[in-house]
Amino acid sequence: MTEIKIIVCAKQIPDPEAPLSDVRVDAEKMEVIVDAPLVISPFDENALEAAVQLKEAVGGKITVLSLGKKVSDTVLRKTIAAGGDELILLQDDQFENLDSYSTAAALADAVRKVGDYDLVLTGRQAGDWDSGQVGLILGEMLGLPCISLARAIQVEEGSVVVEKSIPEGYERVKTQMPALITVSNEVGELRYISRTKMLKMMRGSRKIPTWNADEIGISSDALQKMGIAALSSPPDMGRDCQIFEGSVDDQAEKLAEVFMGLK
Amino acid sequence: MSEVLILGEVKEGSLDLKSLELLGAGKKLASELGGKVALLLMGASVTKAADEALSHGPAKVYKMEHPLLEGFKPDLWVAALEQACRKIGPKVFLMGHSFVGMEVAPRLSARLNSRLTTDCIDLSMDPEDGLLLRTKPVSGGNAISVFKFEGEPQLATVRAKVFVAAEPGDATGAMEEITPEIDASMIKVESIEIVEEESVALDKASVVVAGGAGLGEEDGFELLEELAEALGESFDNVMIGCSRVAVDKGWISSDHQVGLTGTMISPDIYVAVGISGAIQHLVGMVHAKKIIAINTDKSCNMFKVADYGIVEDYEDVIPALVEKLEELS
Amino acid sequence: MTPSRVMFWQIEHIWIFYVLATLSTVLFLGGVAVYILVWKKSAGSRSVPFSADALKKMLLDVFLGRRLIEGDVAAGLMHLLIFWGFLVLFIGTSVLAIHHYVMSFLVGTSHLVFSFAMELAGLMLLTGIIWALIRRYLQRVPRLERRLEDALVPLWLLLIVLSGFILEGLRLSSQQPAWAAWSFVGFWVGSLFSPAWAEAFYPACWWIHTLFCLSFIALIPYTKLFHILGAPAAIYFQSSAEPVLLGIEDGAGEFDLGDAIFFDGCMRCGRCVASCPSAGAGEPFAPRDFVQAMRRNLWQEHSPVGDIRFMSRNEETKVDENFWYCTTCRACLEVCPVYGATFEVVIKKRMLAVEEGTQVPKLLNQTLEKLFKYNNPWESSKKKRGAWADDLDIVNLTKRGAEADLCYFVGCTTSFDDTAQRIARSFSAVLNAAGVNFGILGKKEPCCGDIGRRVGELGLFEEQKEGCEKLFEKYDITDLVTSSPHCFHTFKNEYPEAQFRARHYTLMLQELIAGGKLKFKKGFEGKVTYHDPCYLGRHNRIFDEPRDVIRAIPGINLVEMPHHREDSLCCGGGGGRMWQDLQGDVKMSEVRIREAEATGAEIVITACPLCLIMLEDARKAAGFKEPFRVMDLNELVLQALEEKEANNE
Repeated sequence: MTEIKIIVCAKQIPDPEAPLSDVRVDAEKMEVIVDAPLVISPFDENALEAAVQLKEAVGGKITVLSLGKKVSDTVLRKTIAAGGDELILLQDDQFENLDSYSTAAALADAVRKVGDYDLVLTGRQAGDWDSGQVGLILGEMLGLPCISLARAIQVEEGSVVVEKSIPEGYERVKTQMPALITVSNEVGELRYISRTKMLKMMRGSRKIPTWNADEIGISSDALQKMGIAALSSPPDMGRDCQIFEGSVDDQAEKLAEVFMGLK
Repeated sequence: MSEVLILGEVKEGSLDLKSLELLGAGKKLASELGGKVALLLMGASVTKAADEALSHGPAKVYKMEHPLLEGFKPDLWVAALEQACRKIGPKVFLMGHSFVGMEVAPRLSARLNSRLTTDCIDLSMDPEDGLLLRTKPVSGGNAISVFKFEGEPQLATVRAKVFVAAEPGDATGAMEEITPEIDASMIKVESIEIVEEESVALDKASVVVAGGAGLGEEDGFELLEELAEALGESFDNVMIGCSRVAVDKGWISSDHQVGLTGTMISPDIYVAVGISGAIQHLVGMVHAKKIIAINTDKSCNMFKVADYGIVEDYEDVIPALVEKLEELS
Repeated sequence: MTPSRVMFWQIEHIWIFYVLATLSTVLFLGGVAVYILVWKKSAGSRSVPFSADALKKMLLDVFLGRRLIEGDVAAGLMHLLIFWGFLVLFIGTSVLAIHHYVMSFLVGTSHLVFSFAMELAGLMLLTGIIWALIRRYLQRVPRLERRLEDALVPLWLLLIVLSGFILEGLRLSSQQPAWAAWSFVGFWVGSLFSPAWAEAFYPACWWIHTLFCLSFIALIPYTKLFHILGAPAAIYFQSSAEPVLLGIEDGAGEFDLGDAIFFDGCMRCGRCVASCPSAGAGEPFAPRDFVQAMRRNLWQEHSPVGDIRFMSRNEETKVDENFWYCTTCRACLEVCPVYGATFEVVIKKRMLAVEEGTQVPKLLNQTLEKLFKYNNPWESSKKKRGAWADDLDIVNLTKRGAEADLCYFVGCTTSFDDTAQRIARSFSAVLNAAGVNFGILGKKEPCCGDIGRRVGELGLFEEQKEGCEKLFEKYDITDLVTSSPHCFHTFKNEYPEAQFRARHYTLMLQELIAGGKLKFKKGFEGKVTYHDPCYLGRHNRIFDEPRDVIRAIPGINLVEMPHHREDSLCCGGGGGRMWQDLQGDVKMSEVRIREAEATGAEIVITACPLCLIMLEDARKAAGFKEPFRVMDLNELVLQALEEKEANNE
């Protein structure tokens, strides 16, 4: 089995596990401010896990790309510690708040610059804005066959076989490489990456290559911002919760009565 | 004449309910634009669905029939849709935020060079520049944003159960056939087999008992099954749901997942056991009529959106609850 | 006629004996050589320094069997009998060789004394072996194994002793020397045989006895008998070697010389299993099994000929994920005769597992991620860390202009958990009552990093440690008191360049009481028992101060549980277990709370937030209702201080 070269696109976002209280909506500046540490978008971590599993199966090289205004290499080094071979940060002020189409365009140029690859993997949607577009648009822009919602990926000589989620269950599909695949969480959670491993890496201080818009080769016209016309807080989903008290038996009884009342 | 085009979906020969909701949305936008609404149907044979569509009063129904359009092969559907859009030249093109829509819309956006907004919960036309105003939740649901982009056609996918379905009306619209120029060589992704899995139609449930990380282990779902059974004596259609964490841990299959990347539901009763209430989960169930939360962490988000709450270990509460339910029913 | 003995009487072809002896010696030395090779290969960066103190300690331990008697008097005495019996016989045989080959001196009185001594030794050995067999096979002491090897070894020795006495008996019976009675056992045995018969069978018996003995010597390195050499080596090493504080350097999790010597010194006695709370709760972890599996792994890796202990070759080498059950309570080290710290070996294994990433339990995974992102293992937010102090008027040392003599380091669990917050509130109140000028770090307080160290995530520990040190430096913190023994242990022992003093609150309370700063106006009428937290007691030897504090309260009746002080039973919250869901046949904490309840005490006092939570939960799970309850020492002290009625919950 020949080795394969995989490119994984990973987005850095504020921790989606952060409590509601840490999120603030500024309607005037039309900004959502999340006071939470930065992490890699969960489905992108699944994409990385899929890539590492493939590398363990057939061997090869994994290149991770991450695009943003300011991409923290502390956060993204996790991708190397997990098994990525190369990390390239795509950093430029112009990359702030890009819409999905422009993001895909910039990534496409970066992927072309990386050059040789067999698979491009990315998460099905980002954990912050959940648009779910960049992967497929990127595939179209690169002229690649696109497969979305992958739950299992296998590589055969020259082609890739994917189990993709469909409403009735799953569909097994096959296409020639190079191809683009968007990945869902069924592919597997990213293995635990110890801080020990990451600290060792950071102390070994490998320089991480950073490309800006010019180096990638994308022009400013192609980079459009998210066209936000208005931003507001969602209607309050809060309800007045009645918390029961007493012994476990008492509480259970009261709840059972509530159920009976709802019959 | 500005046209608002809707991509209808056909389920077992008939028009899918989502398409009627889209039609409703389309009618609204068409009147704001001062234009007309049309529906596009694709498949091997869509005559019956097309008639049904016509009877709901669109100005036009386009039929794209081709034997290769049997089933759903994304490569061919995207190619055919691209051709249709170029031929019809609509001002606005709406699709449902469904399995088909999520696959086709982004690729269409790339080919037609027009920005897309997905999962919209509201749409309207901006009276000043005639552009589509797309409203959608962002940041996992923490904010509501209204987007606007240039480009033709204006592209959006629409969330289900948000718009009111179009009523049957005058079937005065015209039927037009479009022949897609597609052939087998356009299929880049070959389908090997389709495997049906027993799936859980969570959105049909009237009562959902859901478990999350707080269960601590797979066996926790056994207790929830007991509760579901006990509730089944008094309610119909009681099903088990879960949060994404439970799926990630391999405790339960993903078709039970409730949330932004699972199923969005609005049952009569939602019982959240050991679920903290991350926003991506909340948006999937917060419209349930009554929400009950059982969790040991009294500061978790779930208690903020629940009607009733018990702050105890579910392993203590559920057996007691099952007992009481059996006594009372 | 002068008392003496003919050497090799009636034995022909003595050269065969020499061949066998040489063979036996070669096998013995060959086996030992493999051990030395394995030890050298696993040495890592450690070496064996020379220390007169260590040598002395080792000799005393070995010859007096101190540790063995301490933990189990019967076992200790039994072993002394075997040890001294064997040693004297061995020395005696060597002396006999010198007498034969070098210089004849065992004649006359010396021969008589010699014979008598050997007789005693033989008898001691016989008694010891029979006692051992009774303990293992009749009494069936639970911690003793009953594998083939465990039967073979004592039986072999038994055969040696019996054949020796029979041989002697045959000789005495046929030679009938006048001084035969000095060898009183052999004398009696000899009376059972006719002289003619004895003479005839003597040579055969001699060869049999010789074979038993020589093969025994040869077998030493190939069975658990190696502990004859291995145990003294391990005792010496543990006493002489500098303790190593592991970090994230390469190879830190690999087993080193100390581990190799410990593994080979282990005699499978099982005292660790008997004292391990995990094994006691029916969990799939037992220190001895773990150590032996690690031993086999090490040998497979480093030995050119594989594991030479051929009778244990087929035993398990995999431990799966059972090493996550260990709570690092140190009960094993407390009782191990060769000072083996199994829990430290467990931590090394965890380091390797964490590095690799795929053997980390998922719940722990999430906890460590939280710790990394939010400096605490409980909540996905730093904001509420100081919330317990919101309605109290406590100085926040991170605010500009704030100053205090003492910093109260609250700790993650005490800050976030409802039950444990009681500790923070009561300790603050006690400090106020004593007029101590103190402050807290509020939501800027980082984690001490304890969890990182116990689960093998040393990188995470290093990050938290750096955070703490930076913060302490920034706010000029030099005197710190904490309510968690885990934080205390970590600060005191694992922050080598600490510029601050760290104390556990019990030390502080004892000082305040001794200094008259705390006056128990109210007192407290009641029977209480004290649960020694592992990281306060066993790890840091603080047993008396908490008891002094309790006894200083008028009206208190302190009763002890059967397992107390060094024997205290772990509550199950340590070693990262607080954030996992591990359980055996019973919950460890339930075992402990039942023991507490059985003392008749009304209140269980403890001095650790994890113990408080675990025991409280266990109390509820076991169905023990009020007034039997669990309290932190601070709560007791506070109640005894206050003037108002506070004697009921």
